[in-house]
Amino acid sequence: MATTVVDHPGGPLGPPGSTPRGVPTGRAPGARLKLRNALIGWTFILPNFLGFAVITLVPVLTLFYISLTNSNIFGTATFIGLENYVKLGSDKSFHTALLNTFYYAGVHIPLTVVVSLSLALLLNRKMRGAAFFRTVAFFPYITSIVAIAVVWNMLFSPEFGPINQFLGLFTDGDLPGWTVDKDWAMPAVIIVGTWRDMGYYMLLFLAGLQTVPAELHEAARVDGASSWQRFLNVTLPCLRPTMFFVTVMITIASFKVFDLILVMTEGGPGQSTLVLSQYIYTKGFVQFQFGYASAVAVVLFFICILVTVVQFLYNKRKEA
Amino acid sequence: MNRKIMTAVGAAAAAALTLTACGSSPDAEAETPEGPVTITMAGWDLAAVPEFQTLADAYTAANPDVTVEIKEYPAGNDYDTALTADLAAGTAPDVFIVKNLKNYITFQEGGTLLDISDVAGELDPATGGLDSMAIDGATYAVPYRQDSWVLYYNKDLFAQAGVAEPDGSWTWEDYDKAAGELSTALKAAGSTATGAYQHGWQSVVQGFALAQSDGASLEGGDFGYLEPFYERAIALQDGGAQPTYATVTTNKLAYQAQFGTQQAAMLPMGSWYIATLVKQQASGEANAFEWGIAPIPQLDASTAGLDNTPVTFGDPTTLGINAGIDEAKVATAKDFLKFAAGPEGAAALAAIGITPALIDDTVTETIFGLDGVPTDDLSKFAYSTHETLPENPVGAKTAAIQTILGEAHTAIMSGSVPVADGIAEAEERVANEVG
Amino acid sequence: MAVRSNARATGARVVLYVVLCAAAAGILLPFAWMIVSSLKTNNQVFTVPVQWIPDPVLWQNYVDIWAKSDMVTWLKNTAFLAVTVTFLQVLTGSFAAYGFAKMRFPGRDVLFLVYIGTIAVPWQSYFIPQFQMISGWGLNNTFWAIILLQAFGAFGVFLMKQYYESIPDSLCEAARIDGLSEYGIWWRIMVPLSIPAIASLTLITFVNTWNDYLGPLIYLRDRELWTIQIGLKSFIGQYNAEYALIMTGSVLSVLPIAVIFLLGQRYFVEGIATTGVKG
Repeated sequence: MATTVVDHPGGPLGPPGSTPRGVPTGRAPGARLKLRNALIGWTFILPNFLGFAVITLVPVLTLFYISLTNSNIFGTATFIGLENYVKLGSDKSFHTALLNTFYYAGVHIPLTVVVSLSLALLLNRKMRGAAFFRTVAFFPYITSIVAIAVVWNMLFSPEFGPINQFLGLFTDGDLPGWTVDKDWAMPAVIIVGTWRDMGYYMLLFLAGLQTVPAELHEAARVDGASSWQRFLNVTLPCLRPTMFFVTVMITIASFKVFDLILVMTEGGPGQSTLVLSQYIYTKGFVQFQFGYASAVAVVLFFICILVTVVQFLYNKRKEA
Repeated sequence: MNRKIMTAVGAAAAAALTLTACGSSPDAEAETPEGPVTITMAGWDLAAVPEFQTLADAYTAANPDVTVEIKEYPAGNDYDTALTADLAAGTAPDVFIVKNLKNYITFQEGGTLLDISDVAGELDPATGGLDSMAIDGATYAVPYRQDSWVLYYNKDLFAQAGVAEPDGSWTWEDYDKAAGELSTALKAAGSTATGAYQHGWQSVVQGFALAQSDGASLEGGDFGYLEPFYERAIALQDGGAQPTYATVTTNKLAYQAQFGTQQAAMLPMGSWYIATLVKQQASGEANAFEWGIAPIPQLDASTAGLDNTPVTFGDPTTLGINAGIDEAKVATAKDFLKFAAGPEGAAALAAIGITPALIDDTVTETIFGLDGVPTDDLSKFAYSTHETLPENPVGAKTAAIQTILGEAHTAIMSGSVPVADGIAEAEERVANEVG
Repeated sequence: MAVRSNARATGARVVLYVVLCAAAAGILLPFAWMIVSSLKTNNQVFTVPVQWIPDPVLWQNYVDIWAKSDMVTWLKNTAFLAVTVTFLQVLTGSFAAYGFAKMRFPGRDVLFLVYIGTIAVPWQSYFIPQFQMISGWGLNNTFWAIILLQAFGAFGVFLMKQYYESIPDSLCEAARIDGLSEYGIWWRIMVPLSIPAIASLTLITFVNTWNDYLGPLIYLRDRELWTIQIGLKSFIGQYNAEYALIMTGSVLSVLPIAVIFLLGQRYFVEGIATTGVKG
């Protein structure tokens, strides 16, 4: 895709997303220069990294150690090696939580990317009221999560809710029980999750869209490209760094989903919406099996890292 | 957890960053036992919950040398989260409330609670819930308040429907029958009220089942005793005698609103609701109507009636001493606990409408002397006579088992699984996961 | 021809607005419910069926909330934290992002993955060790704890880095040839060109700090230090919940964010980044 843009006669710039390869090495490739570059690079990173390393990295590394102990938060913990991880293998609740998490993430990630990108494209134009509609789209993200849970649960209410009253106009059959039905609770939560997150990721996409050079669009239009072709060949390639960022963030956020499920269903009915983050919380702070909870957190970490590395490598390859 | 390691890391990093620690170190205020002593206590929501300050003030009035300083914690489940963090970091107050009985054993095993068997030994054996606090013969926390579940009923709605009020002899069958009759009659009269309201909590079904069924136990792994209780709850909601679980949860119904605005004629609820209802009726938030409390319906006639002691449930709220307390303050803290859990503390709590763990005649008189509390004999009987068993018996597996039973509760009540299957699944999971 | 296509364009525009307005109404429904509930008594908030028009309309909550609570203190504390955290996050985040995006040095990508990796660890699994550490410094129950916690997150670095990558390296090269130092390039070129990204990072950091609940819950215990979210939650007592007041407070707490968003979103206008590139 990137090639299309570069080859385009009207394109005055290289693809903004690409780092022209070999530029730094092209300039005087000396060891001293490399060292100087590294030092300057570190001075940029250091102010943030110091705070980050001490406040976040150290506790996270501790977590890895705790996952190898039988800690109950208090008192002294005994090192038990991989025992917690072995136990996870036969823990049915963990398996349920794992499956549910993949269910949520698998649907929520693509859905949210599509919806928020569409919103961003729709509202990234000069039109009357754009400011208002952008603000409205962002509202779900800033509205109190308690109010969100209350209103959506009411809308979903099987007996009195407007959603089922509306569906009832079209069918005489069984209507979904939504948040109080073991098969419908997850779709209900995913709908609310997407609704809540769309404005947030729309904002990130909006920022990214500002880097798409108008000239490229203009040139493509002159060439007779349809708006879909322009989207595929101009917008998407230019948006790639943002797309990478947003998909990684949505992926991690989806695998970590917690507060929304807690207020919507508390993991129920039964275990039908139990997800890993909630399982970690229950094990750690309700049952005080902190070592075990940490092991679950480490598993969650590796899932996220694995998915992120795949996305990272894919992005690198595209970039090259 | 490795507090020492983390604190050491913290100290090293602090030195590296040359951050000056400006917090109050616990040793800084070490005091000699003779002079005035200040002990700290954890409480929550001080604006709305006066009990902590009441106990503190009452104790200082009796012991002018001692000040009990309340450290405010967040309310609800957040109390446990915040307190847990403080206990783990060694920054918790001298005295704290073990709010959920489920956590008591973990706090004890984690070495955060001081052995206070001597205090427990000096308390009145009639103190509600005291016996159940023993772990291997030692006691680490003492109950200062204990609410028990009773049946609230709306006398006006009973009269309107022409149904006989509870007389203290009810079993659950009588309750179900009355709920059905009330619903039918109220509906016929054009009212939207239902006969009963059962809140969505797991305890509303399981607490009674565990307390009233013969030989029922949490750790036994056999939960067959839950079955009749669930069958009845499902039958009540299917018959329209109470709002369905789906409606209760999706519409976030509040029991205070349902009973207080006369949308339900009967409400099984803890005795804490007495003070709330009185307050809401006075402020106009609840309607003005005649109400009373009756003993909670029994499983069979053997424990029902005014000449028996009805069986109900309720977890005591208990006070414990932080194991990390300054040596010099231990005696004072123990004395404070003895006071709070004893008759003086009970009298102080009753005066603000709170049910202490030790209910004596003074307490009953005080509570029923408060403005707006019903004064009929049945209400007094229901309030003062009961055998109250814990919802969460002290045991290492209680928290884990209750999690599983909680999930079974939502699955069964929402109709996601048939009663027997839901219970069988819970049994299997307990065997598999808690074992 | 022209007239017809004009008419069609107008028709499409009308349809677009109708759809947008309908969607906006749907999206704002929970917010509308918040407002309606803030005009009721507690016992009227949750009813079957939902009562969309309060009867009577109770403006009293908007008066009571100032008297019944320390709303002013909460708003002041939250604003202070949100501004401080946002400033530090944007500053250090965009600074570090330049190092990750435009400098080449060994270990850069691994270090970056470590940054992202920590985002993947749920906070509830490591806040205890973190709390022990920060308490060890005596910083629990101070604003420092929240500032340290929020200001150096990986999020800002990641966001800014991705944005910088979409700014062509040729610009930096040209500036280097002109004799600008790396710091100069960051300040003179990257920062002005990344206004949309800075705007979105500012908004998001501000909102997240404003709405953060668990952090202040664990670290800020004294009433004088409470933030708006902690304060509002305190209306839910053990046995009673002042839902009407919570909703009143929620409405009041959303307003500042909405205003800031309205002001901030104007930086998402086409061309800010590209006009810079052209010049």
